[in-house]
Amino acid sequence: MRKIEEQNSNEVVVDVQNLNVSFGEAHIIHDVSFQVKKGEIIGLFGISGAGKTTIIRVLTCQIKSKNWTGKVLVTDLTPEKKKNHQKILSRIGYVPQLELLNLYFELSPLINIETFASNYGMKKEEAQKVAEELFTILDIAEDTWTNALKKLSGGEKKRVSMAIGLIHSPDVLFLDEPTTGVDANKRYDILNYLKKLNRRLGTTMFVITHDLEAALVCDKTAILREGKLLAFDTPQNLIQTLPSKGLLARLTIEDLTEEMIEIIQEYEHCEKISRVGVSEVEIFLNNFEKNLNYFIDYLLEKNIKIVSMSRDVANFRRFFQILIQEQEEMERKEEKEKENIGRERREGRAIEDEREIEENNAANE
Amino acid sequence: MAKIKIEVKQFFRDQKNSFFRFLRLVKKEFRLVRTDPWNLLIALVLPPAIIALLSTMESQKIEFSPLPVAIVSNDSNSYVNPNNFTNLAIDNYTKPYINAVVKSFYLFPKAIYNASKFPYSMELARRQLLNAEIKCIIVIPVDFTEMLANGLPGLIECVPDSSRITDIQKNLNAVYDSIKIFTNENNLTPQIRLAPFTPFSIPEDYDEDFSSTLVLVIPLMVYGIANVLTILIIVKEKPIARLLLTPVKRSEILLAKYLTFSAILFVQELGIILAAVFGGLFIRGTIINLFIAVYTLAYSGLSVGIFISAASKTKTEANQLFLASFVVIILLSGSFVPIENMPIYLQAISYVLPLSHGGPMISAILSKGASVFGFHFYMLLAVSLVLNILTFIVFLRRRYEV
Repeated sequence: MRKIEEQNSNEVVVDVQNLNVSFGEAHIIHDVSFQVKKGEIIGLFGISGAGKTTIIRVLTCQIKSKNWTGKVLVTDLTPEKKKNHQKILSRIGYVPQLELLNLYFELSPLINIETFASNYGMKKEEAQKVAEELFTILDIAEDTWTNALKKLSGGEKKRVSMAIGLIHSPDVLFLDEPTTGVDANKRYDILNYLKKLNRRLGTTMFVITHDLEAALVCDKTAILREGKLLAFDTPQNLIQTLPSKGLLARLTIEDLTEEMIEIIQEYEHCEKISRVGVSEVEIFLNNFEKNLNYFIDYLLEKNIKIVSMSRDVANFRRFFQILIQEQEEMERKEEKEKENIGRERREGRAIEDEREIEENNAANE
Repeated sequence: MAKIKIEVKQFFRDQKNSFFRFLRLVKKEFRLVRTDPWNLLIALVLPPAIIALLSTMESQKIEFSPLPVAIVSNDSNSYVNPNNFTNLAIDNYTKPYINAVVKSFYLFPKAIYNASKFPYSMELARRQLLNAEIKCIIVIPVDFTEMLANGLPGLIECVPDSSRITDIQKNLNAVYDSIKIFTNENNLTPQIRLAPFTPFSIPEDYDEDFSSTLVLVIPLMVYGIANVLTILIIVKEKPIARLLLTPVKRSEILLAKYLTFSAILFVQELGIILAAVFGGLFIRGTIINLFIAVYTLAYSGLSVGIFISAASKTKTEANQLFLASFVVIILLSGSFVPIENMPIYLQAISYVLPLSHGGPMISAILSKGASVFGFHFYMLLAVSLVLNILTFIVFLRRRYEV
């Protein structure tokens, strides 16, 4: 098994530069670039259809090279060449989303492990030894190791699946929605196990997820929207890009209405406002420390009754929301501008046509 | 030079790894088979059990009784009194024939009609046939005596009860016995004698019914079970998608399945042949020939089954394809309608279906002692090979997503 000291080296294990993926006319991924260093946990976030899975499918040799362009290196090998596929696949692990479709439910966890491990050339004894270590880290009770997998709970199956992904000590482990379909309280367990495995084994991890809480365990996060990479950095650095480095005021307002939100928005130092509950809003201010007191005076002046107030730092979820909203607004603006330009051109052409007719008439006269 | 050496070494290392991966995949297949006791039961216990059950069934002993017949004479040269068989005509052959019917051990003349005197004779005889009072109407033609007197064949018409196809031949044989007696006694030529070809007949100390039933049962059972066993092995194994994200190759996965199920069928065929031999099956050929024939047919069933499994997207689709193909294969196997009697386009289809070759091949070994290595064997091998190639192509192109 890999040792802890290997973690946090500067060695790049995944290098993606200007990746574009197309299937026929459909352009799925647009010019995506990022680098992942050894031992990092990378979270790939985005709403459905953002292109997360497509990127992972390129990295795991599942998409033919004719469908993508750009420079992609996974453990120094490019998936572009077919002869590299086996080598890449022997150096990476994959934990799919649905256990039902990816494990042999009739066989025991140990035999499942043995079956997958044998594909990497591991002997039975070696596989069992590593499996026992992994099962211990993942808290899979010893008395279940030889039971049929179908008798295990959903969480246990998920952990067995993770152990299978790690059995051959891969350089990179890809996890597809590891917390989907897991109870709310178990989600944090799964994330904790990921961090634990990352710390103990130093494995680089790629987590594709909708679950924004997963950012808690990620060293870096990538946010994708419609095939474009909107942001890629540590969650802390991303939050720092928000106004006042992410400092916000969380207010509970009596009888909160849309009009009140508009009034708050009109405050000159208010950068952003988000409604986060029935009567709760979060407000980002320009020069937060200086303007907070003036802002409260402004609210009192406008007869807005504050029930409670706290100051906080924005979390990743808020950053994600703001980024996606900004992107949507930007796109809406661009569309409007395009529409305006189109209309202007049409009107211009009509005027020109009229002028031409008039000129022709004059010439005829 | 050094680079080539390294590449050669790498090549052999890859082949070795591939071989060990393959062996472990075979192990996995056996483990999966073991988890499904019903499949094992169908594969290994059911076929010998069916044969053992058939062997315990006593052959039905039919007590012999002469066949009731009606004779309708249209011969214009004769008059026969039904009560005392006296005739009034000169140069008459009708009475000697009726005497021959009476003398025949196999026939009982229940009614004799003179159609030249009673116009509704044939109608009366038909009614008796409908009421099952008689099994056959023997019709003597108008010019019977005249033809025979002139040295020409006097054709006797025979109208048997055709409600049971298996009885028709018995009826005809019985009528033929009366003709034999008639020609012997009246010194008519030519005389024909029916005699079974003894080298192809089943010896008396073997159960004829059991042996002839197995000629039909073995090909159907072997082919059908090989099909049933394999139609789901690819389509139901969802984790293949994940296996493909390891260094394993698709060809290794498929070969492991072929090897595992070929081994299971090997054991199955051994069981079938042992059960058949102990049950009293008469095998004119050698057991080795029979085993090769049965195994080749089973392999073709396996090839069809795995092809269906590779080509189907869902289990339901595989089951539907299996049923459709099985019905067509049985109907066009030649067991129901001789292949030669089918339209030419159906014959073409029939000759590429496994059972069309498996049945005759096994039958020839069992009853004629033929060698397995003939046209049917090579056709079966060719059909299986083509299906194997198609399966590989389909499986290599099959879309898997984790």
